[in-house]
Formats: sequence, C-alpha cells, structure tokens
Amino acid sequence: MILEWIRFFVAAVLIILGLCSFGAAVLGAYRFGFVLNRMHAAGIGDTAGIFFVIASLAVARGPHMDTLKLVVLVFFLWFTSPVSTHFLGQVEYYTNPLLGRHVKQTDLPEPADSPVQAGTEERKKGDGDGTD
Amino acid sequence: MTIEQAYHTLYGGALVVLILLIGAMVIRSIIGPRSTDRIVSVNMLGTMTICSIAILSVLLDEGYLADVAMIYAMISFVAVLMMASMFVPSKPKAPELDRDKEQETAPAGESGGDRK
Repeated sequence: MILEWIRFFVAAVLIILGLCSFGAAVLGAYRFGFVLNRMHAAGIGDTAGIFFVIASLAVARGPHMDTLKLVVLVFFLWFTSPVSTHFLGQVEYYTNPLLGRHVKQTDLPEPADSPVQAGTEERKKGDGDGTD
Repeated sequence: MTIEQAYHTLYGGALVVLILLIGAMVIRSIIGPRSTDRIVSVNMLGTMTICSIAILSVLLDEGYLADVAMIYAMISFVAVLMMASMFVPSKPKAPELDRDKEQETAPAGESGGDRK
C-alpha cells in the first residue's frame, strides 16, 4: 500500500512540473512581444510540458499497452514540433515587412543580386561598431 | 481517502488547470496581431488538447483515447504545415533588414575602390 502512495506522489510531482511548463509557455506567449520569441516559449510546452505530463500518466498507469501509445505520442511530438517551428519561422521571415526592427542579423542566405553581398567586406573593414 | 479518489482529484485538477491555459491561448490567438502569432497559438492549444485527451484516457481508463490523441497530434501537425505553406511564396524574396538600408546610404565612391 505504501508503494502505491509513493507512486502517486511521483505522478503528482511529474504532472505539477508539466503544468508549470505549460504555464511558462502561456506566460511567455503573453509577455514576449515578437512572434519568434513566442515560438521559443511555445517550444517549452511542446517538449518539456508534454514530456512531464505523459511521464506522470505512465507512472500512474504502470506497464500497459496504452502507456506505450502515450510514449510514442511524446516522441511524435518531439519530432514534429521543430518542423512546425521551422516552417513558422520561415513564414515570419518571408512575410513580415518590419522584420528589421526585431532581427538585427541573420544567417539566412541573401538573394543573389542583393547589394549586401557586394559590400560585405567593405563594411567589415569600415565600421567597428560591433554589429558583426 | 482511497488511492482511486486521490488519482481522480489529481487528474481532475490537472484538467481544470489545462482548461484555463487553453482559454488563455484562445484569447492569445484572437488578439495576435499577425497570422503567425495565431498559428503559434493554435499549435500550443493543440498540444494542450493532446495532453487533456491523454489525461482523460488514464482517468476514464479508456484505451482508445490514446489513439485519439495520436490522431489529433498528426492532424494538428498537418494543419500547421498547411497553414505555413499557404504563406510562403514559391520564389520567396528576402525582406529588407537594417543593414540593407545602411548599404544604400553608403557613399558611392567606396565601391569603385576595389577595382583598382
């Protein structure tokens, strides 16, 4: 009987951690002012939140076939969440005309006829204001 | 208090907290200024809904709800990909950043110096 209560407290701690992760994600979605920052906050809920909740359910359920289904669900979300975040970042990069207000430097490739590539070395020699 | 009542209270409370968080994300998706904010909010809302369905599958001891959660995860992923691919053009044009404007305002004489 005491082992059952120990299992219950482990499940309780895990699901409280999961709900705190989801709370952090929602808080970040409200507090951050730009969508790329909000994606960072959403990633907490997509990875840590669902991991702790499903771990709590697996502890509570014990070895069972449904537990295996829930573990597969966690791995599916862990693989698909970065893909969604990548596509949403791409959408924001290509559709936001005011991106330069939020993003100072990016590693994405420039278009071929951009004037930035022609003058890159000059600017590196010229300005030393630490923006590189 | 038996162990079944304890589990029922724990996961019932977790469901109530998740419902409150889902409501907060619905409001966030309504007030999101751009379409990307809304898609991010709907993605988080889907993740919390998957968690709710998984909790219900243990709380009600119904195994098929785990399958429902998996199908919901797949549909949510495909929906986010479709909504994202609607906005990306086939030949995308990079946006203007601040350094482009710096380059435009640079004096024209510097570019001729490299050719000599």
